Amino acid sequence: MRQGEKLTSHLDWPLLITYFLFLIMGMATVYSTALDPDHPNLFDYSQKYGKQVVWLGISLFLGLLVFLIDSTIYRKFAVPIYISTLVLLVVVLFMPPINGARAWLQIGGFGIQPAEFAKTGTALLLARYISSLNIKQQNLNSVLVANAIMIVPMILILLQPDAGTFVVFTSFLFVMYREGLTYDPLVLKLVNTIPGVKFKQTWVGTHFIPIMFAIVFLCIVTLLLSNNTITFSFLPGLIIPGFFGVILSLIVFCLIAFLFLRFISTKRERRRITTVIIIAFVLSASIASSVNYLFQGLRKHQKDRIELFLGLREDPNGEDYNRNRAMAAVGSGGLAGKGYTNASVATIESNHVPESETDFIFCPFAEEWGFIGTFILIGMYMFMFLRIIMIAERQRSRFNRVYAYSVVMILFYHLAVNIGMNIGFAPVIGIPLPFFSYGGSSMMSFSMLMFILLKLDSQRSHVLQ
Amino acid sequence: MNFDARKYVIIVFIITVGLIYIVRLFFMQVIDDSWTLRAQEIAEKRKQIVPPRGAIFDRKGVKVVSNRTYYNLMFIEDEIKHLDTAAFAKVLGWTKDSVALRFKEIVKEQGTYRDKNDNYKKKPNYQSDRPYAFIKEMTLEEIATIAPHLDKFPGFYEEITSMRSYTYPNGANIFGYLSEVNEEEIKEDHFYRRSDNIGRAGIERFYEKELRGQKGIRYIVTSARNNELKPYMDGIYDTIAKQGPNFKLGIDILLQEYGERLMNGKRGCIVAIEPSTGEILALVSSPTYDPNLMVGNRNIAKNYPKLILDKDMPLFPRPLAAEYPPGSIFKLLQSLIALQEGVITPESGFPCNKGMVGCHNHASAGNLMDAIKFSCNPYYYAVTRRILQQGKKKSVFADAEIGLNKWHKYMMSFGLGQKFDADATGLRPGLIPNSAYYDKWYGHLRWAFSTIRSISIGQGEVKLTPLQMANIACIIANKGWYYTPHFVKSIGNKGSLPQFRVKHRSMIDAKHYDPIIEGMRRVVYVSGGTGGRAKINNEEKIVVCGKTGTVQNPQGEDHAVFTCFAPMDKPKIAIVVFIENAGFGGTWAAPTASLMIEKYLTRKVKDKEKEKRILEASFKN
Ligand SMILES: [Zn+2]
Repeated sequence: MRQGEKLTSHLDWPLLITYFLFLIMGMATVYSTALDPDHPNLFDYSQKYGKQVVWLGISLFLGLLVFLIDSTIYRKFAVPIYISTLVLLVVVLFMPPINGARAWLQIGGFGIQPAEFAKTGTALLLARYISSLNIKQQNLNSVLVANAIMIVPMILILLQPDAGTFVVFTSFLFVMYREGLTYDPLVLKLVNTIPGVKFKQTWVGTHFIPIMFAIVFLCIVTLLLSNNTITFSFLPGLIIPGFFGVILSLIVFCLIAFLFLRFISTKRERRRITTVIIIAFVLSASIASSVNYLFQGLRKHQKDRIELFLGLREDPNGEDYNRNRAMAAVGSGGLAGKGYTNASVATIESNHVPESETDFIFCPFAEEWGFIGTFILIGMYMFMFLRIIMIAERQRSRFNRVYAYSVVMILFYHLAVNIGMNIGFAPVIGIPLPFFSYGGSSMMSFSMLMFILLKLDSQRSHVLQ
Repeated sequence: MNFDARKYVIIVFIITVGLIYIVRLFFMQVIDDSWTLRAQEIAEKRKQIVPPRGAIFDRKGVKVVSNRTYYNLMFIEDEIKHLDTAAFAKVLGWTKDSVALRFKEIVKEQGTYRDKNDNYKKKPNYQSDRPYAFIKEMTLEEIATIAPHLDKFPGFYEEITSMRSYTYPNGANIFGYLSEVNEEEIKEDHFYRRSDNIGRAGIERFYEKELRGQKGIRYIVTSARNNELKPYMDGIYDTIAKQGPNFKLGIDILLQEYGERLMNGKRGCIVAIEPSTGEILALVSSPTYDPNLMVGNRNIAKNYPKLILDKDMPLFPRPLAAEYPPGSIFKLLQSLIALQEGVITPESGFPCNKGMVGCHNHASAGNLMDAIKFSCNPYYYAVTRRILQQGKKKSVFADAEIGLNKWHKYMMSFGLGQKFDADATGLRPGLIPNSAYYDKWYGHLRWAFSTIRSISIGQGEVKLTPLQMANIACIIANKGWYYTPHFVKSIGNKGSLPQFRVKHRSMIDAKHYDPIIEGMRRVVYVSGGTGGRAKINNEEKIVVCGKTGTVQNPQGEDHAVFTCFAPMDKPKIAIVVFIENAGFGGTWAAPTASLMIEKYLTRKVKDKEKEKRILEASFKN
């Protein structure tokens, strides 16, 4: 650290303030959800909110430590940090399982989830590796190494098993995509074995990751929605089957995109945009139709298996138990919500929505604050993500940029999957909502991610790497 | 190579997902309310609070119908865990088998439905997650032995309910009773839930909507284990239960009680009305029953079969629903119509020739007043012939047709031949025949006065309910008008129903009533009058104007009837006493009426000898 420089100089205040706002909102939601009228004190450590206050304190303390340490250590120690998180991931596999998963390390009275910290470790090593690459070194070799850095912890996490965190690790694919590490070398290698073919680049290989994710997203949404029907209170009698709902949404979405893009594009591009959107619509509609068709054509036990995988069959007492209750909680919030501490479906006490203070914490929030609340919440997350991308893009160091992209993609994944499972867009795989969900490991790991980013950003002008 | 443009792919990806989620949330939370309904289904319980029914007071302010707290032993099958049937049976004081039997019985009581979604299979309505009453309507003493043990039997709990309580064992036919609603009633009126009570007869039924009050609803948040947690949204949607308003009756409960006592051992009825208001002061139907016998479904199950099978029909509201020929009291109306039609004057005399109809031995009546006094049958044959055969047509048949229909109109104006718009259930219209009626019997223009002459003296086809008979006395006392007889003087402080404030007028001019009233006085106070026993204490302090009647009964002993009002100058009470099989009206009916009048006007009865004679008389065979 340079002499005479304040810790807070060059700090990105908008991001830090957003982070603190999330902490306050999250804490308030945990308090309301877990509230025991006999122990209303926020600092009552026998209660979940009391414990969460402790976790918050520890997280902020760790954040302060991060700020005191020069940011160069993350680059220097990326390998040992990564390896130690891997060691923890291995050690945890020998621990007694809790709720069917070997995810917890007991240290003293507290439980730690190494998987949460593995995200940070992986992000750092990936940043270090990619930043060490020459721009021209993006060959098959570098793609494989970068993927290996991501896949090793993924395998260990799958062994626990922890499907949620496993899925979150695929967020690093977007980071690699941003940095030009795509599957194109792999595709080229395959394609160019065909005699007479000699591509230098394939469009599919280059944009493989976003395309694949768009398709996966579309498939999952189609599968989850095609079994439901959509009804309207103000138009009784109008019942839209779920599958038509998907197609209808696609049409509406393409129209909006078309109008929006026409508005911002030049005259010359307009033709191209029309073509692209029509192709995109035809493609996505046919993917959705074929998924729906295939699924409806499946035999009962095959259907059951897919439904089980999607989490539609988690509870033996009823198909779709958790998601249905979670969606009821969210949907019953209405426009303005039932009011703070007035949630009736999603509280620990009523227990209709299981895990309402951890994985399903969006439920009590949505129930209490309604659409106004959820709109603001998602808006705040969007702001945070765009802010981090902006921060990422202003870094002169590639290490910093890769790390920043890792942070934004990890957070985005958590948001998309977590809220997705509350609104019927994602299968029930337990992952926390960043800065909201009750739990020490996630709170600490998200805070560490955030503070390391803030520290790196505040020292962005120091190092030229 | 520069990959900077790829940041836009990521930005678009993030924003797209964000927008999709916001749109989806907008649909789920704001537009589609099926999730709200689902949440209510999952996490809310609507608890209805049934208020006590409105209390009922008599005209003097005595509370005659009130509410008493009872207890239901409720259970929810899903919450019962390992029921120790033996221990439970011991607490109830039942046998083990009867406990098991009761569970089966409850399921059976709920009935079955056809499931549309399952090949229309029969399925029970019973649902194991809903509360049902294991034992209904226990008294405090009964529940007190059970309640302390209930915590050992999870799934069972006590629930408070209120039921009727009657201060006097009288007026059962006025008040009616309550019993459990049936499926149809639940479907028809969403106010009711299973095991609610509904008014079944009398005032309880007629004023059901007012008496039942307003239910309160509490919304309660329940947990996944069905525990009640807290009021939903701090109770902002809760409504408070409102008890039905207090009812004030025209009934004088002491008069009612006295009337029921006097009628003990007799079949028949007494109806007393205040002429100036139409308020019913007493309505005795004999034999009757103690209304407390029909409180609560357990009592009803025990007592209803006995009451319904009793050959004297205690559940039958005779004053409202029994249709009797009126007998000689009908002569009062014939007189009025004849005077109005101008076919006689008060001074008209007709000989008592017993050629066409019998009569008792008396001097021929030289005027109308004496005809009433003697109740001379031939006199009224002559009078009624003059009403019906006025010579307006050459053909005697066509003439009778015109006459009868005119006569019918007069009778309708006395409230006869039609149901009163009264606040009671089971009212009957009686019968006043018109030409169409006889045409059906004899054929068009095939009848004349001589064919139908028995209506002259209130026999034959003519039928009146005792309430109509009493109302005739009111019309005469008022000299030409009446208010529809009714029980309820005031609902809360809103007064009686509007239809009870409309004056109905007869088609007879007021002046024509004077000779009739004089005749009715002579019935009681002039020697040779048929109703001498109606005198109160043999004095003329309270002047009673009355008319006896003896209704011929082909099945047995004649019925006795007496209708009257008092005092003559300022009528306060009009009354009819009808005693089946008691023979001549002057012997039993007249003195009973006098006792009722004395009781009402002076609050006590001096002539204990007379009272004893009536109390001890019995005409039931
Ligand atoms: Zn005679």
